[in-house]
Amino acid sequence: MIHFDNVTKVYPTQKRPALADVSIDVDKGEFVFLVGPSGSGKSTFLRLVLKEEKPTHGRVHVAGKDLARLSNWKVPHLRRRIGCVFQDFRLLPNKNVFENVAFALEVIGKPRRFIRKVVPEVVELVGLEGKAERMPDELSGGEQQRVAIARAFVNRPQILLADEPTGNIDPATSIGIMKVLDRINRTGTTVVMATHDAAIVDSMRKRVIELEEGEVVRDQTRGVYGQAY
Amino acid sequence: MRAQFVLSETWIGLRRNLTMTIAVITTVAISLALFGGGLLINQQVSQMRQFWDDRISLTVYMCTDTSPSNACEENGAATEDERTQIQQDLEQLDEVQSVEYVTAEEAWADFQERFSNNRALVEATQEGDIPDNFRVQLADPTQYEAVTGAVEGRPGVDSVSNDQAVLEQFFGLLDGLKWAALVVAFVQLAAAALLIGNTIRLSAYSRRRETGIMRLVGASNFYIQLPFLLEGAVAGLLGGIIASGFIVAARVFLLDRIQSWFQFDVTLTAGAVASVIGVSLILGVLLCTVTSFLTLRRYLRV
Repeated sequence: MIHFDNVTKVYPTQKRPALADVSIDVDKGEFVFLVGPSGSGKSTFLRLVLKEEKPTHGRVHVAGKDLARLSNWKVPHLRRRIGCVFQDFRLLPNKNVFENVAFALEVIGKPRRFIRKVVPEVVELVGLEGKAERMPDELSGGEQQRVAIARAFVNRPQILLADEPTGNIDPATSIGIMKVLDRINRTGTTVVMATHDAAIVDSMRKRVIELEEGEVVRDQTRGVYGQAY
Repeated sequence: MRAQFVLSETWIGLRRNLTMTIAVITTVAISLALFGGGLLINQQVSQMRQFWDDRISLTVYMCTDTSPSNACEENGAATEDERTQIQQDLEQLDEVQSVEYVTAEEAWADFQERFSNNRALVEATQEGDIPDNFRVQLADPTQYEAVTGAVEGRPGVDSVSNDQAVLEQFFGLLDGLKWAALVVAFVQLAAAALLIGNTIRLSAYSRRRETGIMRLVGASNFYIQLPFLLEGAVAGLLGGIIASGFIVAARVFLLDRIQSWFQFDVTLTAGAVASVIGVSLILGVLLCTVTSFLTLRRYLRV
């Protein structure tokens, strides 16, 4: 599903590569933790998958497509197959829960009838039933992140990328978020989650890829966060 | 769904930057009004030129016993021989279409008729004050100088009068007016373009959250940019509509009045005015949309 082939990424203003000769394979339906200290290349990895950046060397394949050969006007179609969740939720403050989730479908031109059918299902899937009319500032951080997950998943993407989704949330609430991500993973969606949260990684027992200074230092199925931290 | 979403986003954008939108509309309106005014004057001048080119004639006045000019005092009144000679020579010129001899009586009658509303002037003159003359119809109105040169200064010829010289001055004035309007219009259009660029940039900035999410969930570039482009287009269209009002006013209060002063029997047709308005509207919308597009390419990278 995601295939990195000797990928190196050097940002123009920096000498040290953000990713150095990285080769990673993520299969369909996998749940992968991407761990490592800040600046180890986790975000760069995610940006390369979205084709927000181009690799300096090497090839990136996503959902069977060679991104180097994907023309710019087709990038939106790639992104429709990838859902994204961030540490800072990125909800629209002037729209309620339903509207925030529906927005993702409106802007790719889905018909209104489809939206009215699908959005409540996803809102329920993330555990926000009965709160569709709430505004973001009436929700807790955990609930806001659930809305963001619902928005990322409402178009049933093949891949869900999560960049420190529990970074702004207390540990108890984080468990709930992880359950939602796990539920989404069980529907067959590949989930890649970058995180610093050792407790969560240890409790989930999923595949762990550890990056350090842009290199893969560990790739472990059913791994833990690591002894060093 | 799509249309409704795009339109509501456009409306939000216009309302959020209301003061900037008003500034854009005003600038566009003024520049397009000047531009349209320039085009109108241009059309008016070319129509009047055509009108007068068809009718323009030279009048060769002959000397009489009472002619006060130097040329006539030297040679005295024109003789019958001189008249025939001049008529023959004029008729042989290629540039001349026809020559008509007007006797002093006919010239007097014509004068009385033409100034019938000015009795004082008519009463102050008498038959014989208007000399007999040749009305020369030109085949090519631009060649009047050659014809003038052929007869001017010959014995028996008092003077050659030429409508064209007077008209050219007038046309020159209108031409100057036209160019002034067009130059100011283009400076204003440039200012309008900069304003639109700024407005769209502000609009894109204030909606960066939305556009960021749109990008992320895979909305197409066109779909992301369309509300901004429409925002520009609507401002351009509104400016153009206001400018149309100015253009119609310019026609009624300026051009029609000029015509009545000069007794030109040329009015711009409604079609001509409509086409000027059409061109202005299209220019307004295009200018705004293209500027918006160029701005977005810089500030809304996808």
